[in-house]
Amino acid sequence: MIMSIQSEIVASDVMLRGNKIPKAYPKALLKDVLEIMDGHSLGIVCIVDQEDKLEGIITDGDIRRLLSLVQKPLAALLNDDAVNHCVTSPLSVNPNTLLTEVVAQMGKKRIWDLPVVSEGVLIGLVHLHPAIEAVMSKQKP
Amino acid sequence: MKKIMASKSISIPSPSGKTVQIGNNGELVLIAGPCAIESYDHSMKVAELIGTVCKKYDTEWIFKACYDKDCRSSPTSFHGLGLEEGLRILERVRNETGLSVTSDFSDPSWGEATGEVCDLIQVPAYLCRQTSILKAAAATGKPVHLKKGQFMSPWNMKNSCRKLESFDSDQILLTDRGTFFGYNMLINDMRAFPIMAETGYPVCFDATHSVQLPTSMGNISGGQREYIPNLTRAAAACGIDALFMEVHDDPQNALSDANTVLDIKYFEVVLAQAKSIHDTRRELREKWGDDNVHPV
Repeated sequence: MIMSIQSEIVASDVMLRGNKIPKAYPKALLKDVLEIMDGHSLGIVCIVDQEDKLEGIITDGDIRRLLSLVQKPLAALLNDDAVNHCVTSPLSVNPNTLLTEVVAQMGKKRIWDLPVVSEGVLIGLVHLHPAIEAVMSKQKP
Repeated sequence: MKKIMASKSISIPSPSGKTVQIGNNGELVLIAGPCAIESYDHSMKVAELIGTVCKKYDTEWIFKACYDKDCRSSPTSFHGLGLEEGLRILERVRNETGLSVTSDFSDPSWGEATGEVCDLIQVPAYLCRQTSILKAAAATGKPVHLKKGQFMSPWNMKNSCRKLESFDSDQILLTDRGTFFGYNMLINDMRAFPIMAETGYPVCFDATHSVQLPTSMGNISGGQREYIPNLTRAAAACGIDALFMEVHDDPQNALSDANTVLDIKYFEVVLAQAKSIHDTRRELREKWGDDNVHPV
């Protein structure tokens, strides 16, 4: 039963949508990116252009690594553009990717979030906890 | 981190229709003149003296003189000839010399008139983050010369650029004129040039205001002009697109910034060295490329 439900669920069934996706423009200040990340209680912000084309991501792990390496003053760092610190060409899935595959990729890369992209445009974000909740709710009779 | 060197070139109009290009690793452009417009005759005299040297060194330049010095320390200091008379003189200088001209402006209501005469609109350092001034500067449609406030970090100048961009201005020149080092003292942090250049806009060194000792003499500013050559050489070696200097034929009797203006008799030696170092730096760049040591 569980196996059959899992095989039916795809990324678009469980992904966060609309304003639940933490997003910022490439020229957003890093300080604003951190506020967006914190405001969504997630560890990721997707960097998109005016047409929502995904240009990169910044995760809390990226920020941790940055803080341990950067030598410039914190005030200067916080004033940097998001695009200067984002991971370009991030891993993403398409809306029809099976959730089992999505979770497998997350496990392999040890990440909690995966952008969902259709023709280059960000349409959602799979976050592990809501995805698990979706699976569990579908298991209920 | 992506390192963006000054890549944009800004175009300053001139009466001849030919533009003065600043940036994109081009020739060093000079912005120079007396601090304040003292009279038509004096403006023309200084313009001719500077022009003779610039011609010798094949240097494009923009005549600078202000019509209203609104940040004087003392209410009795010379304030300028005022908007109408000052701009009338600047316009005559522009028409008769064929030079591009520039002045700063300290009140948003002066912006439109300034833009009708000046080819480059200067925003005073003290006002570099004032939204109303930046909006008025952008509304002129002319390139904007934005001086870094003495209280500002070079990286925070990006915020002022973003304000100008939000008002549809993308022709910006960023200038360092020193940073407060305690009271009554300025220093130049040469990192300001590459940091401000990360905005993509060309950068300029203000050689004469950088040696100012702000309000160090009670109610007027002092200055250590003897360091103008050192700082100018350092800035040119660091990497600038334009050099700003206030020059006077009789500094002792200059009506504004008498303690910092460069005596015209020293002008050639400062410009010649700056240009030589600038050209050498450009040659080095051709050979070695943009600075990219330990990019972070």
